[in-house]
Amino acid sequence: MKFDAIIMGGGLTGLTAGIALAQAGRDVAVVSNGQSTLHFNGGTLDLLGCDEAGNAVRNPLNAIDALSDNHPYKKVGDVKALAEKAQRLLDGAGIATEGNAEKNHWRLTPIGGMKPAWLSLKGMATIDDPDHLPWKSVAVVNIVNYLDFLSPFVAEALRERGVQVDVKEFTTPELDEARKSPSEMRATNIAKVVERQDLTQTVADAINYCLDKEYDMVLLPAVLGISSGERGDQLLQLIDTPAAFVATLPPSVPGVRMQTLLRKRFQQLGGTFIVGDQVTGGRFEGDKLKCVTTAKLEGSVLEAENFVLATGSFMSRGLVADYNHIYEPALGVDVDDNGLNRANWAALEVTDPQPYMETGVRTDEHLRCSKDGTTIANLYAAGSILSGHNGIKRVDASGVDMITALQVANNILNS
Amino acid sequence: MTKSEVNNHYDVIVIGGGITGAGTARDCAMRGLKVLLVERFDYSTGATGRNHGLMHSGARYAVTDHESAKECIRENMTLRKIARHCVEETDGLFITLPEDDLGFQATFVQKCTEAGIRAEVIDPKQAIALEPSVNPDLIGAVRVPDASIDPFRLTMANVLDAQLHGAEALVYHEVIDILIEQGRVIGVKLRNNHNGEERTVYAQVTINAAGIWGSLIAQMAGVKINMFPAKGSLLIFGHRVNHMVINRCRKPANADILVPDDAVCVIGTTSVRVPIETCDDLRVTPEEVEELLAEGMKLAPSLGSTRILRGYAGVRPLVASDDDPSGRSISRGIVTLDHETRDGLAGFLTITGGKMMTYRLMAEEVTDLACKKLGVTKACETADKPLPGSEPQTPPNRKYSFSQRASYGRHGTLDWAVNRGDNTNDALVCECEGVSVGEVKYAIEKLHVYNLINLRRRTRVGMGTCQGELCACRAAGVMCDREQGAQKSIDDLAGFMNERWKGMQPVAWGDTLAEAQLTATIYQGLLGIDTMTKERRKEYYEI
Amino acid sequence: MANETQVQSLSANNFEQCLKCSICTVYCPVSAVTPSYPGPKQAGPDGERYRLKNKEFFNEALKLCLNCKRCEVACPSNVHIGDIIQAARIKYSTHSPSLRDRMLANTDFVGTMASPFAPIANPVLKLKPVKAILHGVMAIDKHRTFPDYSRVKFESWFKKHAQASQDQYAKHVSYFHGCYANYNYPKLGQDLVKVLNAVGYGVHLLEKEKCCGVALIANGMPNQARRQGEVNMRSMRKAIAQGHPIVTTSSTCTFTMRDEYEHLLGIDNHDVRDSISLATRFLYQLIERGEIQLAFRDDYHKRVAYHSACHMERMGWVPFSTRLLRMIPGVDFVMLDSQCCGISGTYGFKKENYERSQAIGSTLFQNIAEENPDCVATDCETCKWQIEMSTGVPVENPISIIADALDVEETKKLNC
Repeated sequence: MKFDAIIMGGGLTGLTAGIALAQAGRDVAVVSNGQSTLHFNGGTLDLLGCDEAGNAVRNPLNAIDALSDNHPYKKVGDVKALAEKAQRLLDGAGIATEGNAEKNHWRLTPIGGMKPAWLSLKGMATIDDPDHLPWKSVAVVNIVNYLDFLSPFVAEALRERGVQVDVKEFTTPELDEARKSPSEMRATNIAKVVERQDLTQTVADAINYCLDKEYDMVLLPAVLGISSGERGDQLLQLIDTPAAFVATLPPSVPGVRMQTLLRKRFQQLGGTFIVGDQVTGGRFEGDKLKCVTTAKLEGSVLEAENFVLATGSFMSRGLVADYNHIYEPALGVDVDDNGLNRANWAALEVTDPQPYMETGVRTDEHLRCSKDGTTIANLYAAGSILSGHNGIKRVDASGVDMITALQVANNILNS
Repeated sequence: MTKSEVNNHYDVIVIGGGITGAGTARDCAMRGLKVLLVERFDYSTGATGRNHGLMHSGARYAVTDHESAKECIRENMTLRKIARHCVEETDGLFITLPEDDLGFQATFVQKCTEAGIRAEVIDPKQAIALEPSVNPDLIGAVRVPDASIDPFRLTMANVLDAQLHGAEALVYHEVIDILIEQGRVIGVKLRNNHNGEERTVYAQVTINAAGIWGSLIAQMAGVKINMFPAKGSLLIFGHRVNHMVINRCRKPANADILVPDDAVCVIGTTSVRVPIETCDDLRVTPEEVEELLAEGMKLAPSLGSTRILRGYAGVRPLVASDDDPSGRSISRGIVTLDHETRDGLAGFLTITGGKMMTYRLMAEEVTDLACKKLGVTKACETADKPLPGSEPQTPPNRKYSFSQRASYGRHGTLDWAVNRGDNTNDALVCECEGVSVGEVKYAIEKLHVYNLINLRRRTRVGMGTCQGELCACRAAGVMCDREQGAQKSIDDLAGFMNERWKGMQPVAWGDTLAEAQLTATIYQGLLGIDTMTKERRKEYYEI
Repeated sequence: MANETQVQSLSANNFEQCLKCSICTVYCPVSAVTPSYPGPKQAGPDGERYRLKNKEFFNEALKLCLNCKRCEVACPSNVHIGDIIQAARIKYSTHSPSLRDRMLANTDFVGTMASPFAPIANPVLKLKPVKAILHGVMAIDKHRTFPDYSRVKFESWFKKHAQASQDQYAKHVSYFHGCYANYNYPKLGQDLVKVLNAVGYGVHLLEKEKCCGVALIANGMPNQARRQGEVNMRSMRKAIAQGHPIVTTSSTCTFTMRDEYEHLLGIDNHDVRDSISLATRFLYQLIERGEIQLAFRDDYHKRVAYHSACHMERMGWVPFSTRLLRMIPGVDFVMLDSQCCGISGTYGFKKENYERSQAIGSTLFQNIAEENPDCVATDCETCKWQIEMSTGVPVENPISIIADALDVEETKKLNC
């Protein structure tokens, strides 16, 4: 099968690149080995949240200069322009966001932590300044017996910052029915029950009923709106006081929604989305990749002018560490393993920066991969498979995904 | 005496919440003594919780140590009766590989028979049929009554029974001084490791059952016990590769036992002498991992492609023989020291050496001695009375849910006390191990649970494939609801995840590394727990 | 061996690769509407680990699994979740299938009995009293209409009208028509013969064809499925020996014979598997290699919405069908969101599953209504029943759409 571009990886990176290329009229296929890490995303994107000294970043654009030279941001042109483009791209997919690249805001985590963020999905609970909360009284409302949202933790974190907090619970007969499953009372299943049975009003009534007084803010677990943002917006409007969502443990409803809407947008633009298949190898000729094979399209290959490797890090199986070494399994491209071996690629304490996280695919200044030392002219890498950054410690994972994806799309369009 | 003084006076204080201490407390209590059990951290934090979980038939010692072999088989048969819910009757194989001397087998079988251990030579083909995971190259096999035993459950059952017989038990209470008056130990000074408060308790007899740390307890009392801490490392695999214990039929060596425990299997051990100062923070080295894997694959080749969940290390309390002035010769079997006759220090006994298998016998020996000193004549009943949870009962039926069946496996007949049948209690906290909210609540209320690590030892929360990826957070939520404040729960959660990582780090490749990255993405990326922790836990052996 | 240590962790059925990320649970069509189903993660990798310890951990609730394999498609770690669940049912279930399940599972037997009586059987099966009996006694849901049985089986039609002319072609395939094309909808088989003949391929029947057995597996009759599978494999080996690739028009039969035979039934199909291809894939690959060309009618215009059937998605062959359909100039192509329609073979026919079945499919039906196509294209016959019944929109196999849009004479000229 012939396309203009083949993208390996169907998560935030792959779909961002795919949409950008499809918008430019290219015939693009995305090959996705199962579903992506967006399913763990709590509805926010980060550009750069923490500098190398470990301090929270207020202005991400200003802090980029100080990053080490091998950070992927050093290989992209105008981060500000790309960041704006990313936000427009999300908007075009029906993902409304708030925030900008010049000023981080803070999001509330499912256990009451506060983390810097670049963009948050509309409706998510955010704060401009973690030292000055905008609320005096807050109700943290959970669904009875829903274990994946830690309302007492959120409450305590707010109390510590001087907020008056009440913890409330609600349920409805339909949610009680869903609770009969000991293992499947998950955010996404709650969302499906509410959508399928059209329960937004019922849920709103139940929430309003459990609120016995006025609050500045009502915080709810993000369990609404798996296929679009509409249900969530509706619910927030139906609640008597200002209300916002806080992410839950995964699978995360806002994350799944982002995945769904990006994929839909890509398909609407004529893109071919192949899910549940994986690239198993490629045919290289000189400094070019001619085609790739997949596990399931036996007998057929995927040919293209350009290829993008966006298969993610270890947890997405884009990188593999075995007993002896770290490698890239799809095409066997060169990896920056930083001279590490299994005795030292994992640090002793869990919160230490883990050296393995900075390993990844080696790229040149145009984000092109190399194989056996030869730069491959039409094979690019983007997202968390890139070496040189630790998305957890720098709080830059989704920014690296989107910004490098857009840069790669530009590089392809300009080549 | 005032009331508070009465409350501070016991017949016996037992130091150490491992299986030996718990068994001793039970025995003393069953003889009618007023007992206090003290443990600096949690039950089974030391060697008890860091071994194979193997219920030896004694065959391993048959050739080299006849006495131990006899003790083992006797206790093996006893534990099957009294600790049914902690034991799984798997049987074991002793296999001869082409590189081993098949001639050893005949001696082995003969010595087993002499010790009273049923040892049946079977055809290698039959061995493969019985245990398909075994190395197909084997040239000989002997079947013996080895079994698998859960040390956490066994210890807890002994503590519960001790309490049922009137004993008191204090966890997180560390002995910081031994009180001596006129050549007699009269009590101990304790520090509450949670809040730092100190208190003094008195007893006519103090029993030192602190394993390798027993040498430090003895030091406090001014007596010397020569101990050699021997570190043994083990690896846990993600699922059961084998259903029978697999041993090598040769002189005992490193990494030659593979035991099916619960839903996993464990290969071990290495053996290396380490300084006692290091015993509170042991880590498995890359070299040990390599040796365990290489040797383990000889027992069951599929270990080479099975995910390793974690590595861990324990310390065997090897004791130097009193009769060897060089101190190099190691005592075999159980060591009971009456410090009155040995060192002129009355009211102080040490029980050490031995093995988990013979804990009950060790307890009996030292309790006999304590009773003699206290003039109590009641005979030992610990071999006859079943432990709580092991009373006869009809086995679970097919209608049991996954978590109910798993819970029954963990708590035996005490499972009746776990609330279930309603949506709230049936919700799963830990999906890998099938731990429900009801079981977590039961553990918090009845099984001395103060933190997530305690909870893990009682219920297996976080012991499954994902090592706490979602369940630890859910469990922290339930704990917070029941017991403690949110900040304490968050600190606890952070400590727990670090403890899980400690075991994963030495085997962090393949799926385990991918899992670790996902867990970090959730806990640090999504939840931001790394920025919320206030108090870091200091108890290294605990984490 | 030392060099291979821990290079991969692959237990026999690879559940060790599960990272417990729970993504599969998002895509399970059953757990969202059936609280008594433990979900793919619990029923699959989590449960398997404990079943390895003790088979008593098997839970009959696993029968609620549709075997749609959407969990496998979603899994980023390539865990064969659906296989694990179905294999556990085969290995551990002590539940024996009811008469109703046996009847539903034996699609070819029932078809053989019904076809000669089609004029009687079809109206009878639609009569209210009969449906009431089926509902009450047989527990086949009253809302369901059995697919019509054709009076003339495909095989009979083929022997009478087509067989004689097949040898004139230079190249040949053997056609595994499956129960549906044979008993219920011979037109599909006729369409295939039309298209393949047009591109210069003769079509032949297998020496002996049995139902692929997918319904037998789903209804707890693995032994019968295995026997039938062996018959099919023998026939196919003979055809392959003659140089005939095997072509099919049902994604489910294809998936069953290529993958489930080996994974669930333990049938050795390694020498046959690669020769079995779905007709759309077969055609696409011929076109891709430049061996054939298709010409289409100018006057064909249809808005076609493609529905990815579960097993089609699992095989990863959706692009073959969709790219083929997109070659038809007159097709206004729409891709529907990939989700289960809820029928899952015989599952939706059972009284106890009817409401769940419709609830599962509801978002798909809504999606179809929004797109307002002239017809829905899908490679699976049971999806066709479900979607037609639930939306009223006609559903066609892509081969029928191609046959309909094909300019036969022009195509023949291009390929002679």
